[in-house]
Amino acid sequence: MIQVIELLPGVTLRCFPAERFKQGCLSLQFLRPMTPSEAALNALIPAILLRGTREYPDLRSITLHLDDLYGASVGTLVRRVGDYQTMGFYCGFIEDKYALTGDRVLEPMIDFVGELLLHPALESGVFCREFVQSEKRNLITTIEAERNDKRAYAASQLLRKLCSGDSFGVPRLGEREWVEAITPETAWEHYCRVLEESPVEIFYVGSAAPETVAARLKAIFMQMERNPIALPAQTAFQGGEVGDFTECMEVAQGKLSMGFVTPITNRDEDFAAMQVMNTLFGAGMTSKLFMQVREKRSLCYSIGSGYYGSKGIMTVSAGIDFDKEPLVREEILRQLQACRDGEITPEELTAAKEAILSGLRGVYDSPGSIEGYETTAAIGGLRLTVEQYRKAVEQVTAQQVADAAKTLTLRTSYFVKGVEA
Amino acid sequence: MKLYEYPKLGEQAYRETLPNGLSVVVVPRPGFTRKMAYFVTDFGSIHREFQLEGERFCVPAGIAHYLEHKMFDLPGRDVSAELAELGANVNAFTSYDMTAYYFSCTEQFDKCLDLLLEFVSVPYFTAESVEKERGIIDQEIGMNADAPDSRVFEMLMEGMYCHHEIRVPILGTSESIREITPEYLELCHKAFYNPANMILCVVGDVEPETVSCIASARLGDALRPMGEKLPHKDEPMACVEHLRQARMEVAMPTFQMGFKCEPIGVGEAAIRQEIVGDLAAEALFGESSELYLRLYEQGDIDSSFGGGFETVDGCALLTCGGDSERAEAVRDAVLAQAAKLAEQGIEEKAFLRMKRSALGRRIRDLDSFDSTCFRMCAYHFSQFDYFDFPRVYESVTVEEVQEFLRTVAQPERCALSVIAPIGGN
Repeated sequence: MIQVIELLPGVTLRCFPAERFKQGCLSLQFLRPMTPSEAALNALIPAILLRGTREYPDLRSITLHLDDLYGASVGTLVRRVGDYQTMGFYCGFIEDKYALTGDRVLEPMIDFVGELLLHPALESGVFCREFVQSEKRNLITTIEAERNDKRAYAASQLLRKLCSGDSFGVPRLGEREWVEAITPETAWEHYCRVLEESPVEIFYVGSAAPETVAARLKAIFMQMERNPIALPAQTAFQGGEVGDFTECMEVAQGKLSMGFVTPITNRDEDFAAMQVMNTLFGAGMTSKLFMQVREKRSLCYSIGSGYYGSKGIMTVSAGIDFDKEPLVREEILRQLQACRDGEITPEELTAAKEAILSGLRGVYDSPGSIEGYETTAAIGGLRLTVEQYRKAVEQVTAQQVADAAKTLTLRTSYFVKGVEA
Repeated sequence: MKLYEYPKLGEQAYRETLPNGLSVVVVPRPGFTRKMAYFVTDFGSIHREFQLEGERFCVPAGIAHYLEHKMFDLPGRDVSAELAELGANVNAFTSYDMTAYYFSCTEQFDKCLDLLLEFVSVPYFTAESVEKERGIIDQEIGMNADAPDSRVFEMLMEGMYCHHEIRVPILGTSESIREITPEYLELCHKAFYNPANMILCVVGDVEPETVSCIASARLGDALRPMGEKLPHKDEPMACVEHLRQARMEVAMPTFQMGFKCEPIGVGEAAIRQEIVGDLAAEALFGESSELYLRLYEQGDIDSSFGGGFETVDGCALLTCGGDSERAEAVRDAVLAQAAKLAEQGIEEKAFLRMKRSALGRRIRDLDSFDSTCFRMCAYHFSQFDYFDFPRVYESVTVEEVQEFLRTVAQPERCALSVIAPIGGN
C-alpha cells in the first residue's frame, strides 16, 4: 500500500495514495540523535523557520498565504522516536477537488515547504535575531508550562530520573537553560549542519500521484548541498537513578508516577505480548489498575500505564490524595503481581487485545494516524506492518502476558504532593 | 430512512424521526473501518430548572455530570467491560448544554450500538453506588481546581454573567454534589433522557436501516412526557465584574477574556449569526489578523493564544486567551482593534480570503468522525442541518461582520480573568 521512493541518498518519500479523505497530509522530518547538546536547537529551529522567509517575510504574510490555500495548516514537528529526535513540519490541506474549480492546493503547499527550508529570512547571514529571541521565549514558556499539568510534570520528572543515563532522560524539547544559551549564530550553524547531513523522512497521504509529489519535492532537495550521515541504530534502556523521589508543590491532588523497565522492546518477538500486558494492566477502562484501584477501592481519581516500546519502559501515573500514596503504591504492585501470577481472566485478555486491535484496524481511517503509525514505525525500527502487528496481538496468550509481566522491574518513582501546613 | 445529498462536500446523510421522537442520522463513510455512534441528550449542566408533568423542579448543580457517570451502571453488569470486550472505545462528556455518550469500534457495530442505547436508556441508581460516586466526582472537582485552563474560564464566566447558569462549573461544587440523591438522578433521567429530547448520530460504513431498527427495538415506540426547561432569565449585556484574578501553581500567567454577545437562538438565522461571530473572531484576533501579528511580535502573546465565538443555550460570547505576562495590555489592544475595525471596516478582499480559509478548515474537519458526530448533534439541537454550512458561508457579508463587532466589542461587555503564579509580582 505504501510506495517508498528514494528521492536522493538519505531522502526518503513514503506515499500512501488515498482518495477517501477530504484533506491530504505531508510531513517532512530531519532525523537527529536525541542529545543534551542539540535537543533544544532541534526543537527551536522549525519555529524560527515558520516566522518568515524571503518571499513571506513575516508571520502575517505566511498566515495570509495559508488562508489563500483554503486554510491549510503548517505546524512544527518535533518528535521523540526512540533515541532519535525528529524536526520538521506537518502540513494539512484540503484536497484539490474540494477547492473552487481550477484552484490548486497541493503543489503550492509543497513549494511553500521548499521556501521554508531553502529561503529562511536572514540578517547578516544568520537567522533574524528578533525571530530567534521570540521563539526562544515561546519554547521556554512551553517547557515551563509542563508544570501546569501536574500529571505530565510528575511523569516527565520520573523519566528524567529513571533515564538519566539514556537518551530517554533528555526532555523532548530540551531544558530551559539549553534554550537560553542559543544565539542566532549557533542556531544557523546547526541548521546548516542539519540540512547537509541529516537523513530526511517525508510522508504523503492523499490523492495525487506519487510521481508528481516526488518530482516536486526532489526539486527542493536538489538545491541543497547534501552529504548525509546515517544515524546509529536504536538502543534498549540504559540504567539511570534508582529510588523514590518526592516533591512538594501547592496542589490539591497528589500525582504519583512509577517507572518500570523491561528488556522487551518493539524490535523483539515478545513486543506484542508486552503491549497486551500493558493494556491489560493499566491502559483503559477495563484494565486492572482502573477496575481495582479506582473503581473497586476508590483510591484515586485517575490511573493509567504507558509502555514505551522503543525503549522498554513502562510507567504508571495516578492522581491521588496525598495520604493514600503508600496504599496506592502497594495496590499497583499487587495488581502487577497478579499479572505475573497469571491471574488473568479470558474477558480481561480479550478486552485488552480488542483495545489494541481496534486501534490498529482504525489506523488507515485518517491521514494523521496513517502518518503517525508509518513514520514512527519506519524511524523507530518497528518492523511490523499494521497487518503483521494485528496478527501478533491476536495470537498472544495469557501465559505470554504473565511472562512479559515477569520481566518488569520497578526502578524509580516520583511523587508530587501538597505543601504541608 | 430518507437520503439527503450534499455534492459540494461529497457527503450524504440518512435521516429519520422515530415514532418515539428520537432523531436518527446516519452519515455513510464507505471504505472506512471505524464506526462511531453518538447518543446525545439536549440536557447539560445549565438546565437545572424545569417542569415535568406540571410540577416545577430545581436540581443541584453538577447533576448532569453526575448522571453521566452513573449511567454506566446496569444491574449486575459492567457495561464498560462488555463494550471493551467487543473492541469498542466508549466514553461520555457533559457540557453546559448537552450530555453525549459515544463509542467507536471497528467490528460488531450492531451489538455495540444496542448496548449503548441500552445503558443510556435504563436508569439504575442504588443509594450505595450513588454514594460511592461522590468520592470519585469530588476527586475530579479537586483535579479541576488544579487545572489553570478550566479555572481561568470558570472565573471568566463568574465575571461575565449575573444570572445564566454558565456561572456555575459543569462539575458543580463539593457542596452541591452532596445534595445529589438517586431520586434526583431518576427525575432528570425521566425528564431529559427521553428519545424525543435526544439524537442518535452514526458515522461509518454501516447499513442505515439497521441503525433505526436497532434504535426502535431497544427504545420502543411510545412517546413519553418530557421535561420542559424554564426560560432563561433576562441577562444584561454588561458584565458583573470586569476583572477577576487568582493565583495558582502555574509557570506563567494565563488569561481568558470575553465579550458578552446576544444569544443566537435556533435555526438558520442562528447559524448565520454563529458564522458571523466566527469570522469576526478571525478578523479581530485570528492568526492572520493584524493584531495577532503585532501582539506576537511584541511577545505579549505566544502560540498558546487562541479564541473564537462560543455559543451555549441562552448565551453567546466572543472569547480569547492564552499565556501572557501582560493580559491587561492584550485586553486593551483587543478593544482598541475592535473599535478600529468597526470604524474603518474590513477590506472585501481580506474578507473573502478569511471566508475561504474558514470554509476550507470546516471541510477538512469532516475527516474527523468525532467532530462530525459532535457537530451534527449540536447543530441538530439548534435546529439546523450541519452539512448546509457552505451555503451559509457563501451568503455572509462583510457588513454583517462589521456590524457584529460594532455591537459586541464594547468595554462594558468585556471581562478579563487572569491566573498568576504563586509568589509572582
